Parts: sequence; structure tokens; C-alpha cells
Amino acid sequence: MQKYISEQNLNTLIDTLIAAGTRVVAPRMSAGIPLYEPLENSAEMIIDQLPRRSAKEAFFPVCEEIMSYEKEGQQVKINDVDPSRFPETVLVGVRPCDAAAIPVLDAVFSWDYKDEFFLERRRKTTIIGLACTAADDACFCTAVGLSPAETRGSDLFLTPLNGGGYACQSYSEKGEALITTNSNLFSELNNAAPLPLAAPQADKIDLKKVKSWLDGHFEDPLWDGIAVRCVGCGACAFVCPACHCFDIVDEGTEKAGKRRKSWDACGFWKFTHHASGHNPRDLQPKRYRNRIMHKFKYYDDKFGQTLCTGCGRCVRICPVGIDIAAIVEEISNKEIS
Amino acid sequence: MCDTTNTNIYLPYLTTVAEVIDETPDVRTLRLVFQDEQIRNTFSFRAGQFAEYSAFGAGEATFCIASSPTRRGYIECSFRSVGRVTEELRRLEVGDSMGFRGPYGNSYPIEEFYGKNMVFVAGGIALPPLRTLIWNCLDLRDKFGDITIVYGARAEADLVYKRELQEWQERADVRLVKTVDPGGNGPEWDGKVGFVPTILEETAPSAENTIALVCGPPIMIKFTLPVLEKLGFSDEQVYTTLENRMKCGLGKCGRCNVGNVYVCKDGPVFTAKQIKAMPMEF
Repeated sequence: MQKYISEQNLNTLIDTLIAAGTRVVAPRMSAGIPLYEPLENSAEMIIDQLPRRSAKEAFFPVCEEIMSYEKEGQQVKINDVDPSRFPETVLVGVRPCDAAAIPVLDAVFSWDYKDEFFLERRRKTTIIGLACTAADDACFCTAVGLSPAETRGSDLFLTPLNGGGYACQSYSEKGEALITTNSNLFSELNNAAPLPLAAPQADKIDLKKVKSWLDGHFEDPLWDGIAVRCVGCGACAFVCPACHCFDIVDEGTEKAGKRRKSWDACGFWKFTHHASGHNPRDLQPKRYRNRIMHKFKYYDDKFGQTLCTGCGRCVRICPVGIDIAAIVEEISNKEIS
Repeated sequence: MCDTTNTNIYLPYLTTVAEVIDETPDVRTLRLVFQDEQIRNTFSFRAGQFAEYSAFGAGEATFCIASSPTRRGYIECSFRSVGRVTEELRRLEVGDSMGFRGPYGNSYPIEEFYGKNMVFVAGGIALPPLRTLIWNCLDLRDKFGDITIVYGARAEADLVYKRELQEWQERADVRLVKTVDPGGNGPEWDGKVGFVPTILEETAPSAENTIALVCGPPIMIKFTLPVLEKLGFSDEQVYTTLENRMKCGLGKCGRCNVGNVYVCKDGPVFTAKQIKAMPMEF
């Protein structure tokens, strides 16, 4: 059943959670840039601003320690990083495009070997999604089959109401529990109308058709054409809610140091560079092809999901104006031979 | 085995360097023994699997396990020093600690090879991924028919496992054909002179009831596959291993894929039939 929560009570909820030791992550201004970051109090939250990077980093940080080592003579001591130390977390104000990407990431981090760094944070995090009321030219969630009211990935989902406050619907036990333990902050939903939702201009793209074309066009002139401008900066992967490629590096001295897992990008030349000097993706078109193929074919082949939720961040941030939505649309219009 | 229930899948086992063998001026073999007694006694793997080896402070590098699963108590890796991690691994001395994460990937379906003749074709530094299987076969010698090894390198000095080549040459139940590229032979050279594909054609092993295993630089593989075809081998009878840059080895970090095939999970062992169905991305 839908509940109502006022803006003031949402702030009270956040402050209550923080006071109880819960990590609350929400859009917040960080050195002039809106990011999903831990709040010190509810006043820091800027719920109406779309963060520059996605919410994935609450589960998959930009860089994190996975172990440390200490050397003493010929002996090495390895110190494990216990994932159970991760704090209980509530994510507030997560855009539907960001929330929908989290279950997509579950697939890669939980198949076969389990990445507890991701999964333990996942278990300990409650996601409060927020219906989107403002879209810009780059938004294309509607093109990839989602919408500004998509609830996938959200444990609780807030819909802004005309006249203030939010309609609140729970979609999981975690969401239900949050309402139950803070029931004084929620009330019965009156008949206030929701604010008009955002209306991204992008028309729905037939992703099955896109995949069918990709299945048969690993070699195609398209790749040279679209990637000729790409400078391989990797920004698209870093702002993407679904990109999850990572590097593992040691940082330290002869005596002691840490091993870290950090974000990486298939647009980088070094990503696939062999020590021998050989590089199977030696040119930018091959790397850009991998980006499109991974999102719209390989991930689908393996997990039955698309690795793109149409958030538009890569379109906004690309220094040379590459528009993935336009490329995928172009592919969807191709004749399938 | 690095079991899937381990909380931190990125944590390596600690091993001790038990032996250092210089194969060539820049290729070295390390024999490693697990420090934990229980792992030392229970660790098992299959020929063809690989691992992540760490030099703490430099990082991890991916190599196959070069020793045979039939030789218990230790594992070996052979590598050329070409990068940051391998340079650090090269500094390790007997008694030093080294990290090992694995075994990962698929393996040679050796049980399917029982009763068949085996032809191994390798070039240069690519003998290690076959050496694990060669010794596996030799340690179960009566399960296999004829065993032929065609191995070549640019020059005599570039041949790895020289002591073992000597041993194979002396064994009556192995046919070793060793070769060096034209100009790579010294005055004492007692092998063939010529490129591996040419020498393979000259050796002409029968394709009848035979499995061919090929490992080498891409150029060698390119010219070897047509020779095998000419000798009557079907693509299902030919196996190779792929190598791509890897970090996790666990099907997550996203860089070793050839099209939608993950070398770390679906490979590294593939048949020529599987390789030919892949896009050219290796």
C-alpha cells in the first residue's frame, strides 16, 4: 500500500538513521559537483540534482582495498579485508536509471565466484528511489525500455506530489522494514496528484533488433566511423551506472602496501595490452566496438540483460560529443542481413 | 583450490619459492610450494588451468600452471621478464614468498584423449601450457598411443626446458622433433633447422586417432593450422590455449573477452573449431 512522507519527515528519517549509525548516501554537493556521497545531515542533501556519477559507487567504489601485505625478510603476511565490516547503508534519492542498474550489476558480481565486496554492500543497503521529474536532452531511459517511474532496483520508491511531499511505495522486505521501524514519519496517502514526470524525448529502441545486428557485425565500417573522434579518455565508463570493468593494482613499498581494485575502462589502450607488446584492441574503433558490444550484446548473451539504463551521463560528459543513444538508434534502423 | 565459498575471492595463497631455474637468458621457471600445510596436501588442478601469481608490491601476472597435476606437492610457472610484475618475480630467490591465486579456467579434457596419439606443437616461450599436459600424459603413459613433440624456437638459446628436451629425446616412448629457425643453429646443434610449421609438415604425424595441441606465437599458429588440416586433422582434433590480458581471472574484470567468450572462464583451452568461430580479437 502507498504511504505518504513529507519532505520534512524525509529529512527527519535521514537524520534519525544517521544518528543511529547508518550510513546515508544521497545527492550532495562535493567540491561544486553533485555526487552520491555519505551525508553528515539531511541539510546536505540536494535531492533535485542529478549526480555527476552514478549510484554504483555505493557498492563498487572508485578504488578500494582488497588486501594488504607486510614483508619481513623472506616472509610475507597477508591481511584480509573483511567485507562484513561494511556499514548498514540507506541510499536516498536514487534516480530510476541508477537504481535499475544495480540489479544488472548483481549478475556479474554474483555469477560463479561471488564478489563479496559488492554483494555484502548490496545486502546491507536499502535503496530509496525517486521518480524523475526533470529530463534533459541527453536522457534516454525511455529508449532502452525504462521510464522516469521505473522502480526496478528500488526497495522504496518516492514519487513527488503536487503540493509537496512524496507518495512512497515499498518493493521489498528491506523497504517495508524501513517504513515499519519509522512508522511515525509515514502517513496515509491523501489524494494529492503526483508531479508531472520527466518526459525524455527518446523513442523506444528495439534492443532485440540492435542485438541481432550486433550478432552479425563484429566487422563493420560503422565502427571506424563512430570511433574516429573518440579520444579514449574513459569518462563514459566512469560515469556509467552499469560499467563495471576494474583493475587490480598493488600500491606500496618493498616493506608493506595494499592491493586495490579500481575502476577501469575498455576505452583505454592499456586495458588489453599484453606484456609482449601485442594488443588485440590496438585501435580506438576496436575499443569503442567492445563498449557497444558489451552493453548491447555480450552482457545479454551471458546474463540476458542490457548494460545500459539510458541515464545519458556518457552523452553529457563525452568531450567529443559521442552519443551512444544515437548510435544504438542508428543500429536499430539498419537492415539485418 | 580457491574455493568459491571463500569470502574474499581476491585473496592469494602464500607460497615459497623452492627452486629457480633459468631456462633462457630472460625466461625463468619458479617452483612454488604452498606455505599452508593443508593446502599443500589438498591442492589440485587440471592441466591447462592458469593462475594469478603475485609479487607483493608490484601486482599480479597471469601464467598457466606449467607443472603437471600428477606431480603433487608443488606447482611451477615459467615466464619471460617483460613487465613490472615479471621483473619483480624475477628478483625472487629460493625461500622468498610469492602469492598464488587459482587454479582458474577450464582445462584439457584429458580423459577424452585416452587411447589416442598425441601431437604437441609448440614455439618459443609457448611450451609451458603444453608441458603440463606432456608430463601428465607421460606420467600416465599407457593411457596414450604415440606421443610426438615438435618444438622450435628462434635459436638454440631460446629453447626452454632444455633438461626435459634431453630427457624426451632419450625416451623411446616419445618422439621429439626439435628445431630452430634458419640461422638460429650453432655448431653443436643436433636438431632440425626450419620453422615449426615446415618441420611439422615434414614430420607428418598421422591424423588417425590423434589429438594435436598447438601453442605458440600468433604467426606460428596461423601457419600451423593449415598444415594440420593438410595432414588430415579436423578442427575438433586440434586444441590450443589463448592468452589475453587478465586481472581477476574470475569472469568479472571485463578485459580478456574475445567477442562474448571470456578466456578466463570459457578458456583458456579451446579447439580450433571454437577459435575459428570467434572474432579476431586475440
